[in-house]
Amino acid sequence: MENKNSNVLGSIKKAIPELFEPNWRLWSFIAILIFAILALVVFPVKEYKGLIDPFYSPTILVLPVVGLFRLTCYAYRKDYYRNVFNHPQSCAADERGDSNSRGYSGETSLFAFNNLHRYLLYAGIILLPFFYYDFYVSVTYFGGFVLRFASVLILLNAILLTLWVFSCHAFRHVFAGGNVKCYDCSLNPKARKGFFNAQSMLNKRHEDWAFISLVVIILLDLYLRALAAGWPIDFRILQVL
Amino acid sequence: MNKEIKLNIYRFDPEKDKEGHFQEFSVPVKEGMVVLDAVHYVENNLDPSLAVRWNCKAARCGSCAAEINGMPKLMCKTRVDSIGDKISVTPMKAFPVVKDLVTDVSRNWEIAKKIPAFTPKPNLKEPWVIDEIDVSRSREFRNCIECFLCQDVCHVIREHDKNYIGPRFMVKAASLDMHPLDNIDRSKFLHEEGGAGYCNITKCCQSVCPEHIAITDNAIIPEKESIVDSYYDPLTMLFKKLRTKNGK
Repeated sequence: MENKNSNVLGSIKKAIPELFEPNWRLWSFIAILIFAILALVVFPVKEYKGLIDPFYSPTILVLPVVGLFRLTCYAYRKDYYRNVFNHPQSCAADERGDSNSRGYSGETSLFAFNNLHRYLLYAGIILLPFFYYDFYVSVTYFGGFVLRFASVLILLNAILLTLWVFSCHAFRHVFAGGNVKCYDCSLNPKARKGFFNAQSMLNKRHEDWAFISLVVIILLDLYLRALAAGWPIDFRILQVL
Repeated sequence: MNKEIKLNIYRFDPEKDKEGHFQEFSVPVKEGMVVLDAVHYVENNLDPSLAVRWNCKAARCGSCAAEINGMPKLMCKTRVDSIGDKISVTPMKAFPVVKDLVTDVSRNWEIAKKIPAFTPKPNLKEPWVIDEIDVSRSREFRNCIECFLCQDVCHVIREHDKNYIGPRFMVKAASLDMHPLDNIDRSKFLHEEGGAGYCNITKCCQSVCPEHIAITDNAIIPEKESIVDSYYDPLTMLFKKLRTKNGK
């Protein structure tokens, strides 16, 4: 019996290896996605005493745009090509999960839509100021200046989203001078190349910013839900009324 | 660490064998030993018919590229004590085997010929002068030792045999495209002939590069973005056309 069970387990493992991989990025992303959809549908919390939920900033209607921005991001593309489609699962020969018997079109047909990433980047840049505005609203809600723990989280969320958006590869190409052949030919070569170098430093950690910013959105959302549910954790750090 | 390791080497002699097989050797370990030392021990003491290509033994020539325990690596740069006492060494799977660990990488020279060559801007005054600020970006690409580990690990070449030129030649194209005196755009070639769309930026090439070149981030993605400029982004296409019309 035990042998039969292990055979079944073995065949499932062979068919869907990612179910058994210690693949924290994929699984945490799926868990976050399911949680976010459930939370938004079952228990919507739009705002609590001037603290605006990040999913509603500026309106929940922009969520598909934000979702597509993440879906077409080079960091997430690498993740799902590897972990969902096994093209390849791993760089090591014995764990690749890819073979010549499997069809593959890369980004030449359906996934060519990922080339629209830069348009979603433009939308992302337009949305960023709203997150800083949320911070402003959160500290001025009671009149004067009241810095709550939630306000710090809102500011942290805004900063991390900014780091993610500004470390984007498409941003690097379009705005930071990645498409420039000759920096010396520009009006201010040092500033032009300096900006490119600074952005490149951020870009090196793009995958990290992508993931950390996603986690903090969820933490902030959870915290606001806890406040709305009446948990006594609305700490005030600084108050100037 | 054990005083001996078990070294499993892939053997294939086209004159004798129909298909390859593994042969196990026991090799005494010395301090600081690299996998190439172990292979040399076999060649010098146990089986002189073993074929292995190597030159500098200093990670500068790229000749001793192979797959060590399934990962594409340079044999001369992989310490035995970093792996364990059971080591398998196989030739690079993406290329046809000549004998044992030696592969025929000549396909790469054919690809190299296809890449549009450096084309200087017209009417450049001699001597050509390039500012340091324009050199630094593509300097890392000059570190490439053409070991072709990146070509070997690339699943598009290795498993799917699509018409993709591969990471090494995306780097080559990027180094030319980033040259301040170069006058052509290689995005048309990369998109229509080079198969750049097949690359799904999973960064295996970057992770196996012994020279730590950021192949995906600094060469492939910038080239893919140039392709977006030319084929998928109407705004940039319009902007480019206007610039050409104004003679800029």
